[in-house]
Amino acid sequence: MSTNSFDKAASSRGQSGVAVWLRRYEILPHAALAVVMFVVLLPILWLISSSLKDAQQFYNHPSELLPRAISLVNYQYMFTAIQQLPVYMTNSFILAFGVTAIQVLCAALAGYAFARMTFRGRDIIFLMIVISMFVPRGGGLMALYELMNFLKLRNSLFGMILLFGSHLPVPIFIMRQAFLSIPKEIEESAMIDGASRWQIFWRIALPLATSAMVIVATLAFVGVWSDFLVTFTMIDRDSQLTISVGIRKVLTSGYETATANVPELRGQFASEAADAAMLLFSAFPVVLIYALLQRWFMKGITEGAIKF
Amino acid sequence: MQAYSAISALFFSPAKKVFVVTTQTTSTRPKNQPKKQASLLRDDLLGYLFIAPALLLYLTFNIWPLIRGILMAFTDYRFIYPDTRWAFNGLNNFVKLFDSPKVRDAAIVSAKYSLIVVPAVLILALFTAILISRVRRGSSFYRWTVYLPTILPVAVSFLMFRQMYAPNFGLINSLLRGFGVEKPPYWLGEVTTALPAVGAAHLWIIFGFPTLLFLIGIYNIGSELYEAASLDGASRWQQFAYITLPLLKPTTAMVLILIVPGVFGVTDPMLILTQGGPQGSTQTLGYYLYDIAFVQGDLRLGYASSISLVVSLVTAGLVALIFRWSRERE
Repeated sequence: MSTNSFDKAASSRGQSGVAVWLRRYEILPHAALAVVMFVVLLPILWLISSSLKDAQQFYNHPSELLPRAISLVNYQYMFTAIQQLPVYMTNSFILAFGVTAIQVLCAALAGYAFARMTFRGRDIIFLMIVISMFVPRGGGLMALYELMNFLKLRNSLFGMILLFGSHLPVPIFIMRQAFLSIPKEIEESAMIDGASRWQIFWRIALPLATSAMVIVATLAFVGVWSDFLVTFTMIDRDSQLTISVGIRKVLTSGYETATANVPELRGQFASEAADAAMLLFSAFPVVLIYALLQRWFMKGITEGAIKF
Repeated sequence: MQAYSAISALFFSPAKKVFVVTTQTTSTRPKNQPKKQASLLRDDLLGYLFIAPALLLYLTFNIWPLIRGILMAFTDYRFIYPDTRWAFNGLNNFVKLFDSPKVRDAAIVSAKYSLIVVPAVLILALFTAILISRVRRGSSFYRWTVYLPTILPVAVSFLMFRQMYAPNFGLINSLLRGFGVEKPPYWLGEVTTALPAVGAAHLWIIFGFPTLLFLIGIYNIGSELYEAASLDGASRWQQFAYITLPLLKPTTAMVLILIVPGVFGVTDPMLILTQGGPQGSTQTLGYYLYDIAFVQGDLRLGYASSISLVVSLVTAGLVALIFRWSRERE
């Protein structure tokens, strides 16, 4: 915390070489952080290592983090025996891409309108949307169930896309802020050159708001991919399940029937280790996105917080 | 859960700021712009067209359930009898739920769960944030790692902890056996350990975002205060107690407002792992009402809505208290 040079000079005068060295390279906080990070990562590391162990290794040395020999039998089993996984995975991708598209499109249009257009009731409507975010949803899930049932959208991926696509206040807020931060002069000069409202939005404003759209898209994708409660409630047909809900079904139902598909693998894998492989498989897409789009994530997370 | 926390990044930032922004735009535009241009810029119809898709979706799938959920709490709606949909029964549901020993037990479990998880999140997040604020190199890696659990699908995280807690080949019990513990607990299978075990998993999942918030809070304090304090001879500990902690009060309030509703109304881990068991020891209010609404008998959506309404009113009350506490002067 005290990183100013005065402080450092003062401390180096009075302290031994080791203490200065400790401080300069921030040894203590790094050491403490290494412990924290290890604990945080431990479950994941253990899962990865379990997924690479065959039955014998897993049952004999379940707690070893480095497998003595790497075996891909769990992955082989997962891809050949569990036939629902590709279905769940495809459903998740359809849902996540669908919601992302809807949210980006609707939020960009609405955000632009709230930022730049003038129409009666604009600010009131925006304010209502923002305030409505804070109203707690007592009975919301039950009412949603009734609604989805009434609209015949239960057990329908399309219905789920509409449902998750409607979580729009935050995306609208992000997009509105992005459009507000574009200098008005750019749009005004285009208008004088005779560009229409739509052209200004599509050709000028929207490209300048790309980073906000990326933030909206990543938040939407990851949020939808990870949902459990709503999907679990609305979908009970196996062919429409997403991976985040389906994975529980697979893991808690046992593999007796699935193993019948691949008799040659019987006894070679531990079901716990196969579980591990499947858990990693179902989290993989979001982790990849998180790793690749790290910058946008942190921006999305922190920007909101700083404005508080 | 994580969708919730990622999204709630902006959740209450608007509360203060938005009003400022909106009033700005309304008040400055007519003044600064010549009349001619203002008329050129008017586009009523197009504006409505632009907001129409968003508004339509939002009203249908968000605002309607919000209204209907409140109305439903005053009905005896049972899903399998569609004609009970609007069978209003006054305050009966509420009378019933305040009398019900099951609701009371579930409320106690929820309260216990919150008392385990919320302080743990605060302490761990603050501790980690302070550590990260002390390093200059590698802080982006630490931030990334800390937030990683939050982006994982909830079901994956909780099922991963099911593996960890597994009685025989779980990591925890294998390690305990390695240290010579002969009969390590069955974690999720025992009345005394199930709730804290679920809570620990929950802590792991959600502590990342609060850590980032605390970190931002610490960075915002700035070094001048610490410089002045260390010139006056304040020790590190004194600096922490008299500068860091008091100045992090707004952040603490924000973290609490963020996590309390999710923790008090917890449902997911019970659906994924414990089904409220063993012997009801993890039957929280959230799980109990879910069970009534979607699992048991004739699916009493009405009664479940009334419990849900009470839960959300209690959390709203807590949030209001936290908000008032954050505004208090020392």
